[in-house]
Amino acid sequence: MAGKKLSILSSGLIAGAAVLIGSSLFFPWWGMEFFAPQYPEGLNIIVYPDKLEGEIDIVNGLNHYIGMKGFSEENFPELTYLKYLIGGLALLTLITAVLRRKKVLYFLIGLFSIGGLLGVWDLRRWLHDFGTDLSPTAPIKVDPFVPPIIGENTLANFITNSYLGTGSFLVLAAFILILIPLWKDR
Amino acid sequence: MKKWIPIATGLATGLLAATVFFADFSPGDRNEAIAESSKNKTNAEKVYVPFGEKDEYYLFASGGHSGQMFIYGVPSMRHIRTVPVFSPDSATGYGFDKHSKEMMGGFTWGDLHHPAFSETNGDYDGKYMFATDVGNSRAAVMNLETFTVKDIIDVPNTSGPHCAAFVTENTEYMFLPTRFAVPIGREYAPLDDYSEKYRGVMSAVTFDEKKEKLNIAYQVALPPWSYDLSDAGKKVSKDWAVMTTYNTEEATTNLEINASQADRDFIVLFNWKELEQMVKDGKYDEVTGQKMIFPEKHKGGMYLVPVAKSPHGVDVTPDGKHFIASGKLAPSMTVFSFEKAFKAIENKEFAGERNGIPIIKYESVMEKEVNPENALGPLHTQFDEQGMAYTTMFISSEIVKWDPKTGETLDRVPVQYSPGHSVAAEGDTVAPDGKYLIALNKIAKDSYLSVGPSHPESMQLIDLRGDKMEVIQSAPVNPEPHYAQMIKADKIKTITVYPKDEKNPDAVYSQEETRIERKGNEVHVYGIAMRSKFIFDAKAERPDQIEVKKGDKVFIHLTNIDFDQDITHGFAINGYDLNIEVQPGQTNTVEFTADKAGTFPIYCTNFCSALHQEMTGYFLVKP
Repeated sequence: MAGKKLSILSSGLIAGAAVLIGSSLFFPWWGMEFFAPQYPEGLNIIVYPDKLEGEIDIVNGLNHYIGMKGFSEENFPELTYLKYLIGGLALLTLITAVLRRKKVLYFLIGLFSIGGLLGVWDLRRWLHDFGTDLSPTAPIKVDPFVPPIIGENTLANFITNSYLGTGSFLVLAAFILILIPLWKDR
Repeated sequence: MKKWIPIATGLATGLLAATVFFADFSPGDRNEAIAESSKNKTNAEKVYVPFGEKDEYYLFASGGHSGQMFIYGVPSMRHIRTVPVFSPDSATGYGFDKHSKEMMGGFTWGDLHHPAFSETNGDYDGKYMFATDVGNSRAAVMNLETFTVKDIIDVPNTSGPHCAAFVTENTEYMFLPTRFAVPIGREYAPLDDYSEKYRGVMSAVTFDEKKEKLNIAYQVALPPWSYDLSDAGKKVSKDWAVMTTYNTEEATTNLEINASQADRDFIVLFNWKELEQMVKDGKYDEVTGQKMIFPEKHKGGMYLVPVAKSPHGVDVTPDGKHFIASGKLAPSMTVFSFEKAFKAIENKEFAGERNGIPIIKYESVMEKEVNPENALGPLHTQFDEQGMAYTTMFISSEIVKWDPKTGETLDRVPVQYSPGHSVAAEGDTVAPDGKYLIALNKIAKDSYLSVGPSHPESMQLIDLRGDKMEVIQSAPVNPEPHYAQMIKADKIKTITVYPKDEKNPDAVYSQEETRIERKGNEVHVYGIAMRSKFIFDAKAERPDQIEVKKGDKVFIHLTNIDFDQDITHGFAINGYDLNIEVQPGQTNTVEFTADKAGTFPIYCTNFCSALHQEMTGYFLVKP
């Protein structure tokens, strides 16, 4: 069974996954929105594979009161190479679709899973790092905190909402697409 | 089994992607439902603008001798902002920082009379507001992105441009005629020589939008009369303008009596396109550095229209076909026709000349005299969307609505005491809105809590939407509400932060670039203000101190690097009579001589955060 080629339909689904992964490069992957009475429209940190967007300067200005390090693109080395990793993954997926070999698909799924877990771990590491390594001379003392990857967190009068962006959903969809051949061609 | 799994997962994936891309989670629009229910409202409901909603109109009210402009919301009549124009204002640092101090030119007050919006095709475009100073003969322009004054010019040869500013259809010119005749150059001349040496000079002022600078294109040496009010033509009359004048008696003392003797005074009717051409053709004299047209030497473009004695207001109808003058001392309004005037000029139907200017025969240009029964002291006229006229009656304290086409009185409403001007929503454009009219009342009595002998002036909001005019709100206001203009709120597009200007040599946008440079006895500080600190020199042991020697000339360039809504910082030096403001993203400069030795704390005057109190530093002056 293992040596048998994947069906054309499966190959098509995997190719579709490659397209989704590739297009995810142009969408935000993760974001955080801060709300407070004086910021009813919310302040944003929006993370793309290769850049940060949103009201970063304002968030940094506010965070300096609790002694948090400033967010900037230079502070996240990942942003310089993440796009190549994702691009590479898209390319591998495309190759899998062309080769139509089950073994390669298993390898791709494995790689995908490990990459995903690493990504989640990395994000969690940064959140932990920023929330707990606060300057000892900060004007306002707060207990160290770790915002969730998805969900709500409250700090002083700010409610923060962390959420997955379009890019993450695209990659999740791509993951579902590459799992389907496991059923289809079992 | 085998087949539907991929189909189902495919559909699920598609739905997920479609939700992410196309779903609209924004809340729906509920404003339309609210707008429809205005009938049967009580007066309180008609003017109530609940928290979270905004007024429909901005009202820009002149502050008279306060030298300021007051901004209100209509219909709530809430005072939103005071904008200093001709007077210093320590709340905003106006008159203390370098730019505004230079604009003030050493004056400490002004008498702001007639505000005027910039126009495009005869309609307000919401870009700029002009104003004139009767007190010290100046003109100013305010930018409506920031509500700050950008330029002020002194208008030479003129004393008290009362009847300005009025703006032509596409803001080509704003004309500033003088109220007090003076000799050219404001030089000394005895009053016995009044008729020969004195002049009521009118200036044609232009505005360069790119540089935000006012300029004088040319002047006209009108006869030594007092010019009172004016309006620019519209549509068919767009190249023309009108202004009323009194004291054609050329009296030099006790004007109350002596300037009220002649049975007729004049409206000056002029074609500014023709005057412009005369200047191009060199038909002018160079006087005190200005291109001055003398009507007795260079004929053309100017005519006099006889009008009932001591006229006050003159207003052009929205269709541009008529102008209506109100006789302060003759209890009637006179409707004149531009078309008749053009014909009379063509046919030379003149009744002689005054000071070299042809007088058009009254019968040739007058259309009708309107005299509502017992209405006394007509002053100013505004218009609604149907072209109906609303005239303030100073003496009989009322607004009279009438039809300029038939002269018929349609409605009258009393107001609490002596209205001067009134303003209708976009009421002096080619397309008035109707809806609201505000009577600007000069004298108020018994309406509000007493504040001593001088009562608060007031503005009364009149609803024009029903069959009858109705006063629906009254508000005490800062002195002196002289004239005002009302603009639809959505025409004004303000900014929330100043954009970065990388070309500005005085700006520093990061802490690392802050520095203090000394050049001889000049000290230049390039500093930043941010929540909640000043940094003047990031590398210094104490980045928030400035040390100079007594007698040094100090330049402090301060940039607010908080690019955040409403995080305005102030900068004051304790005991040095200095306070300036830097709005978000703005760079501002204060320039002064450190003439007092000692220790002077610096602090932020504009509340900026919980640690605003700690936003301080020291200014040390070595003896």
